Amino acid sequence: MYEALAETILAVIVGVGLALAGVLVVLIWKTDRSRKVSYLRLVVQTAAVVGIFFSFTQALWLAIFLLVILVATLFTGRFFCGWICPFGFYMDLVALVRKAFRVRYLTLPENINQTLHRLRYVIAAVVLVSPLFLGALTVNAQSQTNLLFLRDPDRSLGLMLSPLEPLIVPWAGSVATLSFVSWSVSYPYTRDIMFYINIPLVTSILVYFFIASTLLSTFLFRRFWCRFCPTGISLAAANRFKAFKWSPLLHINKTEEKCTKCGICKRVCPVQVTDVYEQKGGEITTSVCLNCTRCIEMCPYEGCLKLTLAGKTLFKSRNWLEPSKTE
Amino acid sequence: MKSQTAEKKYLPDMPQKEIEEMNATVKSASAKIIADNIAKMKKTDPNRPAAMRYFDEVSDFFGMRQKEIQAAKAQGKKVIGYLCVFAPVELILAADAIPVRVNSGWYDTSKFGDRIVPVEVCPVIRSTIGAKMINLSPYLELSDAVITTLTCDGMTKFSEILSDVKTVWTMTPPRVKDSAQSLHLWKEEIKAVKTQIEKLTGNKITPKKLKEAIQTMQKATKAFRRLQDLRKGNPVIMGRDAMLVNQMSMWDDIKRWTEKTDALCDELEKRVAQKAWASPPDTPRVIVTGTPMFWPDNWKLPTLIEEATPRGLLVGDELCSSDRVLYDPVGVDEWTMDDMINGIAERYLMASTCPCFTSKDGNEDRVNWLINKVNETKANGVIYYVVRGCILYAMEYARVKRALDKINIPVYYLDTEYTREDVGQMKTRVEAFLEMLSARVDF
Repeated sequence: MYEALAETILAVIVGVGLALAGVLVVLIWKTDRSRKVSYLRLVVQTAAVVGIFFSFTQALWLAIFLLVILVATLFTGRFFCGWICPFGFYMDLVALVRKAFRVRYLTLPENINQTLHRLRYVIAAVVLVSPLFLGALTVNAQSQTNLLFLRDPDRSLGLMLSPLEPLIVPWAGSVATLSFVSWSVSYPYTRDIMFYINIPLVTSILVYFFIASTLLSTFLFRRFWCRFCPTGISLAAANRFKAFKWSPLLHINKTEEKCTKCGICKRVCPVQVTDVYEQKGGEITTSVCLNCTRCIEMCPYEGCLKLTLAGKTLFKSRNWLEPSKTE
Repeated sequence: MKSQTAEKKYLPDMPQKEIEEMNATVKSASAKIIADNIAKMKKTDPNRPAAMRYFDEVSDFFGMRQKEIQAAKAQGKKVIGYLCVFAPVELILAADAIPVRVNSGWYDTSKFGDRIVPVEVCPVIRSTIGAKMINLSPYLELSDAVITTLTCDGMTKFSEILSDVKTVWTMTPPRVKDSAQSLHLWKEEIKAVKTQIEKLTGNKITPKKLKEAIQTMQKATKAFRRLQDLRKGNPVIMGRDAMLVNQMSMWDDIKRWTEKTDALCDELEKRVAQKAWASPPDTPRVIVTGTPMFWPDNWKLPTLIEEATPRGLLVGDELCSSDRVLYDPVGVDEWTMDDMINGIAERYLMASTCPCFTSKDGNEDRVNWLINKVNETKANGVIYYVVRGCILYAMEYARVKRALDKINIPVYYLDTEYTREDVGQMKTRVEAFLEMLSARVDF
């Protein structure tokens, strides 16, 4: 009974908080034009976290989620990673904290960054295959197909969906990392670590090490996990093959003549995508890009960078230096 | 400030009397030229925007702005001059110093410069040397230090010559933009200059101050772009007037300049609504590119274009003395010191379209800039202006011509000198080009 009450109260708090945050964001949005889309993105991410929070226990939802994420990347690239993913949101929040401390992020050398991006596919392959073996060792009774995605009937979450884990899990009880009165604090991947490596002391050390290292790495490097996150295996990479050339619908478009190569797009990208800067013009499709559109937001040249969905311009650069009325 | 007793390496020791005499002669001639240029601009556009009066006032080199800077100096402010648009103005502003551009546009002083360097040297350099020899340029005289950027050969040696009498801080821009090491070098140069500025002014450049300075410049860019946007439509302002406004941003107090430019734009927007054009809308539209032109003397080509029969209209240019000065803003991701310095370094190096850069794509940044400008302003033709001795611009002509031929825009190569003698001949050439353009417009 207390649990139900706690849940209702929590829902009300979340709802009111979200509304207030929305008002705040609109207010900031009006004053700072160079961060308009970033704020919009924070709102979308918050809403997504709330949505995922309430649908997290339902196995069907999660299965649909995973399917949608994977298929959507074929058409919209890693839009999910940039705008919805809760883990990404936490990393953006860490970045906000870092900004408050006035610490500048570090950048990875380009070749290391590239290697990490490529490593993504290897990690994803391991993650997709390993439950078959690991799961078979720990839970003998379950069928192997079930193990692949919906590993545990109670939680019904595959490793691929771990980044979606909300920080507060009211129903999780003792399963989550830190237990408070009736609801627990959780963190992406920690429950998987606890599930697979079930040795008392080692598990908690591993869990805390994981939390600390991901938080720290994100504090130092923007969106560090996203650079090799297995969930981010973008099927958009398929557009390298002729048969899938048609598939990406969401593009960043660049007008060659308007670009002065000032390098802002390269510098502001949270996952250090260089393609927007390096490519001379036209449609930029890279499976690394999160479609967070920070580059478009910061590009100081009117109409140089555009976000297009199936040929239609969603928005273009130069929000922060308003165009005059004569245009 | 360098002591007068230090051994001079280049500049001759001229008797004080001779300097004063020459200074007086050129100064009086210059005052006449400034008045004359403004009178001509008024004549071309009888309905000249009222807001231009302020810019006329600032454009007087020996008038109000000079006195203002003198007064500020008396209060302990420092003045830092610069020669190329590579100099980080934001850093100067953040240290509470006054940035002024010190290139010279005087024709007469180039003859004094001939005494030190041969006539083959670019007249912009020669004229600036000459101006220094006779202590003519008020801004160069008032500046406590000068930032030179080693963009071309002329600038490289000029830094040495100027260091005879001034504190000179040289910045070496890498000649290749697109590599990690070149940006690294440039960042170090920016940091070194920052230290120098802090040392000279005694003011520490704090993140807060730098942020303010960057935002001031961003506002200036906004006003500047607003003016350029207004020039894209039917002619609502003559090109020379706009060029004067652009140039004054390098000498005037930037905050006041922003206000006044916004006021000018307000007035122009009203005129757009009234359809009160400064020139008939079918006037051939011309863009000038090439060697920078400086007020007051080197106003030859814009005057010729806009006073020719048939009349042309200067709708834009690709000059580092006019349309390129404030076009690029500093983009800052996060307002930390490091990122602001990064932003400044990138804005001054990467966004620059100076011909001193080389790339395997043939300095395509400049070509793209020009093509974009042509498209945006709907220009009918481009005049490629080169003064004798300006090798980088002269050599890039072939590249630019090819690119513009592709989009069917005629280019005319006009080479000249810092002299008034060839005005008649130039007039014929410019008029022939404009006639061809107007024939194309009619067609």
